Formats: sequence, C-alpha cells, structure tokens
Amino acid sequence: MSTDNGPIMISLQSNDNNIMQVEKAVVERSLLIKNMLDDLGEGALGQTVPIPNVTEPVLRKVIEWCEHHRNDPPSTNDDETDNRKKTTDIDEWDQKFMQVDQEMLFEIILASNYLDIKPLLDVGCKTVANMIKGKSPEEIRKTFNITNDFTPEEEEQIRRENEWAEDR
Amino acid sequence: MPPTVATGLRPGQMPPQPNREDIDATWDYLQLGITKIMTNLQDGMDLTAYMGIYTAVHNFCTSQKATTMSNATGVGQAHRGAHLLGEDLYRKLKEYLNQHLAGLYQESKAHTDEALLAFYIREWDRHWVKREMDEGKKNTYDVYTLHLCQWRTELFTLVHEKVMDAVLKLVEKQRNGETIEHGQIKQVVDSFVSLGLDEQDASKSTLDIYRSHFEDPFLAATKAFYQAESKAFVSENSVVEYMKKAETRLDEEEERVRLYLHNDIASALRKTCNEALIAEHSALLRDEFQVLLDNDREEDMARMYKLLSRIPDGLDPLRQKFEAHVRNAGLAAVAKVASDAEKLEPKVYVEALLETHTQYQTLVKRAFTEEPEFTRSLDNACREFVNRNEICKAGSSRSPELLAKYTDVLLRKSGTGVEEAELDGTLTQIMTVFKYIEDKDVFQKFYSRMLARRLVHSNSSSDDSETSMISKLKEACGFEYTNKLQRMFQDMQISKDLNTGFREHTKLLHSDKQLLDSSYSILGTSFWPLTAPHTTFNPPAEIQTDLDRFSLYYKNKHEGRKLTWLWQLCKGEVKAGYFRNSKTPYTLQVSVYQMAILLLFNDKDVQTYEDILSATQLTSEVHDAAMGILLKAKILLMKPDGDKPGPGKSFHLNYDFKSKKIRVNLNISTKTESKQEEVDTNKTIEEDRQLVLQSAIVRIMKARKKMKHTVLVSECISQIRTRFVPKIGDIKKNIEILLDKEYLERLDDDELGYLA
Repeated sequence: MSTDNGPIMISLQSNDNNIMQVEKAVVERSLLIKNMLDDLGEGALGQTVPIPNVTEPVLRKVIEWCEHHRNDPPSTNDDETDNRKKTTDIDEWDQKFMQVDQEMLFEIILASNYLDIKPLLDVGCKTVANMIKGKSPEEIRKTFNITNDFTPEEEEQIRRENEWAEDR
Repeated sequence: MPPTVATGLRPGQMPPQPNREDIDATWDYLQLGITKIMTNLQDGMDLTAYMGIYTAVHNFCTSQKATTMSNATGVGQAHRGAHLLGEDLYRKLKEYLNQHLAGLYQESKAHTDEALLAFYIREWDRHWVKREMDEGKKNTYDVYTLHLCQWRTELFTLVHEKVMDAVLKLVEKQRNGETIEHGQIKQVVDSFVSLGLDEQDASKSTLDIYRSHFEDPFLAATKAFYQAESKAFVSENSVVEYMKKAETRLDEEEERVRLYLHNDIASALRKTCNEALIAEHSALLRDEFQVLLDNDREEDMARMYKLLSRIPDGLDPLRQKFEAHVRNAGLAAVAKVASDAEKLEPKVYVEALLETHTQYQTLVKRAFTEEPEFTRSLDNACREFVNRNEICKAGSSRSPELLAKYTDVLLRKSGTGVEEAELDGTLTQIMTVFKYIEDKDVFQKFYSRMLARRLVHSNSSSDDSETSMISKLKEACGFEYTNKLQRMFQDMQISKDLNTGFREHTKLLHSDKQLLDSSYSILGTSFWPLTAPHTTFNPPAEIQTDLDRFSLYYKNKHEGRKLTWLWQLCKGEVKAGYFRNSKTPYTLQVSVYQMAILLLFNDKDVQTYEDILSATQLTSEVHDAAMGILLKAKILLMKPDGDKPGPGKSFHLNYDFKSKKIRVNLNISTKTESKQEEVDTNKTIEEDRQLVLQSAIVRIMKARKKMKHTVLVSECISQIRTRFVPKIGDIKKNIEILLDKEYLERLDDDELGYLA
C-alpha cells in the first residue's frame, strides 16, 4: 500500500494462499509483474497479485534475492547475453544464496523463469552447470538421481558422436 | 521437479486453470479471456485474469508431456517440443483473430465517412490495448506482430481505401474552413504507421504501408485541391492577394503536419504544395515583380521572394529583373543631376549614386533577407551605373574624379562643417561607391593630388579623418595603393620636426634682428604628385637670407640631397600699414610671387611692367596671373587702365584700398589654373597606365619565361583589373613596345619569350 512518503507496497499471493507485502521497486525485478503493473496502470496497485505457480517458501526465497539485487541495473537483452553465457562465475552472495537443497534450487529456477527474472534464472542455471562441470555421465546421473534409460547401443552411438568433446 | 498443476484456485471470474497438457482445454480457457479483452476491455482487466491467462500459456508451453507428444526420441527435443506446442496456440489465436476481423469487416460495411473513421479508430484502439496486455507474455512481439499482420491482411486491405476517402473528405472540410476532429486523423495515421512491418525482420518497422496507403493518396488530394483552388483564386484576385493566400495556405499545411500528420510527410507535402501553389503560377508572380519594384512594395516583394525561394530556380528571373531595374534607377538618378555636366557638383553626383545604392541595399536586406545572389545582382547593377552613365560618356574617369573631389570637399577644412562622427560615416559611404569604381587608379591620382594640396596648404580638416580615409583605402586596395599617400603624410610630420630644429638653430645664431617667421616642407619627389615650377624666379631679398640658411642647415643634416623649391606652392603674409582709411594695418595673404611683386613697392611707389619682370625673373604668364589678382583686389592700380597687364604699363600702390576684413586673402588659384591641373592629371593617368601595363607584362613574363600571346593578354587583364580595366589594344601596344625595347622576343607559334 502506498503512503505519502513510504514506498509503494504490492501484495503477492502464493500458490498456498499466503499473502506477503513487498515493495514495488523490489517486486519489479520480475519483468512479468513489472509489465503487468505497467499495462494495467494505477488501478491494479490495490489488488492482490496471485502467483499460482509458486509456493510460499520459494516465493520468499525469490523475494530475498530481489531485495538484495534491487539496485542492479536492469538487464539489457542483447550485448549482455554474450558475457553472461561465457562464464559460470557467480558472485559470492549469490553462491551462498544458492546453497539450498536440490529441490529448492529447481523450484527457484522454475519460478524465476515463470516470473521472468533473467539474472536469477542465470544464477540458478549456472549453479546447476557448475554441479555438472567436470563430471562423468555416471557421476552426473548420480548427482541428479537420473536413471539411465539408454540401451548400451544408444549410449555407444552418442559417445561416438560426441567424441570430440571428451576431456582427455 | 515440475510445479504441480494449480488446483483449487479460482481467480476472479476466471474458471480454474486448465490441464496444462490439453491444448483444447487450454485454448478454451484462453479464448474466454481474449474475447473479453477484444470486446469488453473498457470494463478493465484485473490482476487475477491477467495472471490466469499468463499462467495458462506458460504452463502449456513448459509442459513436459509435450516432449513425448511431439516426438519420441533424440536429445534436445524437449525444447523444440515446447515451441511446436506454442505454435498450436499461435495458430489458434490467428484463426480466432481472422474470425474476429472478418466480423469487424462485415460491421464496417455499415459505416461510411466519419462514422467509418470513428469505427475504425474504436476497433483499432481495442486491438492496440490488446498488444499492451500481451507484452507481458514471453513471446510478446510475436503475438503483437501477429495481431498487426492479421489486422492488415484481414481488415486493412479491405477497408483502407474507404478509410482514406473518409480522411481526405475530413481534411478537405478543414481546408474549407470547417472545424474537424483532427485527433481521429492522427489516430488513423498512427495505425497506418504501426502496420508497417518489415517482412524480413518483424522487430523492425518500415513506413512503406503508411507511405503507399496514406501519403500517396493524401498528396494527390492535396495537389488536386490546391490546383483547383489557386486557379479559381487567381482568376478573381490580384497577384498580391494571391501571394497572401498562398502564404497562409503554406503555413496551414505546415501546421497540419505538426498537428496530426506524421513527420515523414512534411517534405513531400511541402513539395506538393510548392508545386501546386507556386511553381504553377511562377510566371504570373514574376510578371508582377516589375510592378512591385516600380511601386516600391517592399512587403509584397518580401512575400514573393519567400514564395519563389521555395521552388528550385524560382529566384533567378527575379534577380535578373532586379539587376536591370537597379541599373536603370541608377542611370535615371544620374541623368537627373547631369543636366549640366560641366558645373556638376561632386557632392550632388556622389549622393545621387549613393541614394540609389542605399535604397536597393535596404530592399535586399529587408525583402530578400540579404541573400548573397541578390547582393551580387545589386553589385553588378551598381558597377554598371557607377562606371557607365551619362556623366561618364565623356570618359570613364569622370566617376572616380568626381568621387575624389567630393572626398576632398569633405576632408578640407571648413568645407561644409560636417561633424567628425558624421564625416566618418560619409567617408564609409564614399568607400561604398569606391568599391564599384573600375578605374581605381584615376581615383588614386586625383586623390593624391588633392591630398597633396590639403597637406601643403595645411587646410585638411583633421589628421584623424585623413588617416581613417587612407586606412579605408588600404583595406580596399592594399598597401601598394596607399603607399604614396602614407609617405606624403610622413613627410609632413618629418617637416614639422625639421622646422622646430631649424628654429632653435636660428635662435642660437642670433645673427638677424628681423627674424622671418618661416616654415618649410620637405617633400620626397617620388611620392608627391608635384612638379617643379614652369617659371624662373628670383626670390625677394627679405626671404632669400632665411632660405639660404635653411638650405645650409638641411644640407648639413642630409648630405647629397637636392632641394628644388616649388615656388608655385609657396605663400606668405605681409602686413601693410600705408592705407589712409584704416589705422590697423591690413594683413595680406599672398603667394610668394605676389609677395615678390609687392615687396618691390617698399623701394618705389611706382613700378613698370618691365622692372617687375626683371626684378622677379618671372615669366610673363605667371606674373600676369599673380598681378591680375592684385589688380582685381585693387591693392595695385595700373596705368594706363586696360584689361591686361603687359609691356608699357606701370603699377602703383592704392593708398585708398578698403576692405571689410583685416586679413585679405589674395592667394586664389584661377579657374584656368585648376582646369589645367585637371587636364594634367588626366594626361598623367594615361601615361601611368602604360607603365603599369608594361610592368605587369614584364612581371608575368619574368615568372613564366614563355607564354602565348592571348594567354598573356588575359593574364594581364586579371592582374590589373583591381586598378582599372585595361583595353586589349593598349596591352598589345605595350607588348610591341617591350618587344622593341628587347625585354621580350617572338618565338614560334604565336609565343613570346622573356629576355633577361
């Protein structure tokens, strides 16, 4: 809610019907919400925003990230993408932030995709990438609890096709 | 872990989220929302519905089931699968839009003109806002573009002509003075612009659609409208009225662009209007120009200038007419004052020239915004009438001569009593005329003679004005042109110091009780336009002593210099206390010749003609002229009485001489003398020109060594043109002279060579 001097607050409603108040400037890290508020204008400010795809713990986690990064420059789409793709470096705070169990990590990634928060999506994906980096297929399967559904022939063929990428 | 399907959520009036893997269910859910947006947007859109639609699309596109549905095996299929699914939705949306637009088209048939416009805009608005909403989605531009494309193919192609008709009718109404709702047109313009999508790259937009469907018909209509209007207006009104009308119309169109058209049309619209309103009537306008010039209609001329400057080559004919008109005006002004060419006052003549120039310069400034080409026409015209007018018929040197004389009048002491500030302004005006003078050497010659006279007789009004004039000339013609003038000035300064030195020198000597109050000017021969006297002269004893002493003094200072006394320029004052009717003695201002004659009467009261001649050694002509004035003033009386002094006459002092003034000026140059001087000046001009030509030829040849005859002639002209306009005959003549003097030689093939 807006008072004369205080920041404008937006109420968000999570999947499990918990309502939380967040500063507009913080919640606008989500392009989805920012665009929606822009589109619907003043009239929408008083309403509660339903976030049907995200549960309360995840939403809180995402909001925490937004709070910390509230003053980051808005990401531009073109030139920056290159840089983002090139490196898997993650800044210290974000590394700590991502020290969560795997389920939460994937929930965050999905939520950031849904809410359209690119930088958070990147951080999440990089974290996953770092988990994969330098591991053999067996190790990877173990890490992510994946059952091998390839037949030995299929696996052999894929190995051959990707021989050039093997680290020797 | 994929998020669980949203269950049990009932946002607003929206039904529960559909099964994310079921396209039909999803579409049904979406269609509900879209229809609401399409038809009932004014009711507003709440967050819940917004989020509902978004979530449904999102879920559908990220559904994992899709992978298995679209393809069985392979790496990376999941990603592609999502897209394929999205495309299903996309196709559905397209179909939906087509239907919707087809419906709209049917409806649009029912409307015409303004109602149609209103309808078009209303529907456009809806779809517009639809875009805003969709921006929130992932594939925002695709959906936005899809809408535009569909609008274009399904509705626009069918109705754009009718819409345009309506727009044009509306604009015509406004042009006819009615008030219209121009916001509507603005929106139509915006919508046409938005429809310009680049076929290759959807994120870029072009103006093609707008140009072909809006601009082209708009311009055509504009052209037709103004062609018709101007034709009708011209046939019933004067050209002046028409110009006013055209001006307002042009302003209106500019304003129209600003108010509700796209900026892209501005230049094309201006061009169309210029074509219809100005170019098609340019002949008519130009014909009127002479009338305006004759009647001095400055404002109308300014208007015509502004109009015609908008079309290519619009102004050239005006410039030609302007130039001819100014020339004629100048010639007429001169003709008016030229009734008696002999007695023409320099002032009157120069002012006639200036007046014409000032008048039309002001016109160029006010009406033609000082456009450079018009200024050039003005200059051309002025050059014509300054150098070739009725006064100049006798010879082109008349203009510079009269100009120089007028300058002399201005710079002479007491001349007209012009204030200093004013004087400088007038001198600047003189320079204006000077700029147009072709024979600048003639002006220089006359000017230097008159400057010499002013300096020698020290009757220049002020040194400052003289310097200012010289620096103006220097600015216009360069150092060389004023070099001599400056040296003359310096000589006078040096002479002043010299006289002071000489006076102290004589004081030290104490030799003479009766000191002559004398002052001498030493003038460098090569700088001053002066010649030695034509007569012999024996200066009277009274001044001879002083003269000898000065000569000695000077020769001591500057060894090897030769002094030639210019007696004809010397003057002095004598006091005479012998008159019966006056107690105070008269002071007579006389030339040195007159002084010599008068001083003879200190010894005897009567002198014979022969005695005077032998005592003074003057030639009879010079003596007769000096004596003539003394007789006329009745200082001396002649016996026996007769018209002219001559052999056998004798002269005696007139004791009954009377004068109102204490100082009597007898040092007057006679008419014949000044006439003679003019002739001399003109003669030396001709001689000098030959020398200037020869030196120019030699200079050129020295640099080039070899040159074709014709090339040499033209090179010569271009070098000398700043001084005067040489005749080709003269150049050829001087080349011949130089060949004879063996400065040049003839080579083969019409070439000339330089001989060192």
